[in-house]
Amino acid sequence: MKTFAALVKREVLDGKNGYIRVPLILTGITLVLLILSTLGVGNISYSNGMEQEGIHNFSDIMKLAADGDLSEMSPAITLLYWATTALTWVAFPFVIFFSLLGALYEERRDRSILFWKSMPVADWQEVSAKFFTPLILAPAAFLAVVMAAQLFTALYLSIMMMFQGGPVLDLWPVGLMVRSWFAFFAHYLLWMIWAMPILAWLLFVSSFARRMPFLWAILVPVVLIVVESMFLRSHVIANWIGMHLGGWQEVAFGNGDYSIHGPRDVINTILGEVQMDGLTYTLANAQFWLGLVITAGFIFGAITMRKRAI
Amino acid sequence: MTDTVLDAPVIKARNLSKRFGKFRALKGVSFDIPLGRIVGVIGANGAGKTTLLNAVLGLSSYEGELSVLGFNPAKQRSALMKNACFISDVATLPKWMKVSEVLDYVGAVHPKFSRDKAMEFLNRTKVPLDKKIRALSKGMIVQLHLAIVMSIDAKLLVLDEPTLGLDIIFRKQFYQSLLEEYFDEERTVIITTHQVGEIEHILTDVMFIKDGDVVLEANMEELTQQFIEVMVEPGKEDEARALGPIMTGTTFGKSTYVYKNVDREKLSKLGETRRLGLADIFVATMTGEGQ
Repeated sequence: MKTFAALVKREVLDGKNGYIRVPLILTGITLVLLILSTLGVGNISYSNGMEQEGIHNFSDIMKLAADGDLSEMSPAITLLYWATTALTWVAFPFVIFFSLLGALYEERRDRSILFWKSMPVADWQEVSAKFFTPLILAPAAFLAVVMAAQLFTALYLSIMMMFQGGPVLDLWPVGLMVRSWFAFFAHYLLWMIWAMPILAWLLFVSSFARRMPFLWAILVPVVLIVVESMFLRSHVIANWIGMHLGGWQEVAFGNGDYSIHGPRDVINTILGEVQMDGLTYTLANAQFWLGLVITAGFIFGAITMRKRAI
Repeated sequence: MTDTVLDAPVIKARNLSKRFGKFRALKGVSFDIPLGRIVGVIGANGAGKTTLLNAVLGLSSYEGELSVLGFNPAKQRSALMKNACFISDVATLPKWMKVSEVLDYVGAVHPKFSRDKAMEFLNRTKVPLDKKIRALSKGMIVQLHLAIVMSIDAKLLVLDEPTLGLDIIFRKQFYQSLLEEYFDEERTVIITTHQVGEIEHILTDVMFIKDGDVVLEANMEELTQQFIEVMVEPGKEDEARALGPIMTGTTFGKSTYVYKNVDREKLSKLGETRRLGLADIFVATMTGEGQ
């Protein structure tokens, strides 16, 4: 356990640019934009009809909203906070992709594998650490930064609201925010379990490619897809990859009867039904289990390659 | 050094082979290396030194029988590494890590690493703890790596060209501290280096490798007694030639003859005698005449 913790710590140190700096920078940019857009006493640009309703700044919107349906207000605010951190998540798939692709490749390229192998650490431990750190710790780091950014946004808007005299407390739907964080992470994990065969493929490529792992990772599936469509006129491989990368959600949730008429329904759906639907669909799906078997195959391949690598 | 002979050798190889395609890098070598030795593995580039050591360290596959500290290195590398350590190739420390992070890592994964000891070694150097390896000079990287392996309480230490790129003063200091502060009867050290002259005084045993074969495996003391070089006095050349030298040459205008297993007293009548250095013994053996 101590060894595994040390391996994970090493992976985090190695990938700290991607895991920590990237979300910090992107979130920083978002927050700066947010602050800039609200400077100048929070005057917002007018669009049609707003003058008539007496809206001059952010606070006026909040007051107006507070007069309306409060049960829609908190979900709307929660979603607003998530929207402000959207930019951060754009980088996330790239961070995972390149972490896995470099995991067993860089150590061979810079010869540090000879140092790692002089330590009493088994190859399967190394490979597991290199697989699970980007899968679990990277999103946890991203989420931590996002959570901090959401709290900062709430704080910033509250201070602004105090000057403008709006309903400050309505900016703090704390319960919903916290639940949305958990729900997000749970959904993320489910997503990752679906994507595992693809992610394990990346790690496997990084274990054998002598150079240009990027090309290997992309070209092999592309060639397979092209060959399949040329000779068999079918798209099984492409569909399979699409399904595991996120397409499963369309099927998992596509049949659901979610009636959505506003922010409250969105939040309730995300926090409630969808999670369970996703899980039950997943566990009952043969494709999902096949994916796990393929994952095990690629991981085993990566361990075997690492045993031989010098 | 010591003549401690323990029942179980640290390394036991029988008919050890390694092929790369059609090329036979190791041609079925057999040898034993006991505990409490400092063994120099000496051979030309491409002779199979690194192939042999990689097999011993569990870094590559092989054919034949090999047992290192009772482990099968190909299958039990991580278990073996609790009691064995190595530096293979220069500058293999991860460049993106800070010195202190490397020490943290080794401390966490290696049960036999003593950080205090490592700090003691490092305090004699100018290696900064808060810098990344990338920012260190080549010499400092080697010093750090040596400090780490010498702070691991291992039974077997393998050093493949450990001091490459270091200046002579540091190399001398390193071999000195390896001998005085690290080596004892409970450990075996295996060294390969091109600077044979610098290690010959610390070696207890040598192994010569040529074209994938172990051509000589000997105790240092016995080996150096076998080879005698004579600076033959003028006029005694015929007499000298009659005794069957394995090598001839000239130094300072005098003829020199090298003999293997010829009585020293007999030779001293021909002229001034001296023991042959390891490098010369190696050359004599490799050129075939010393066999």
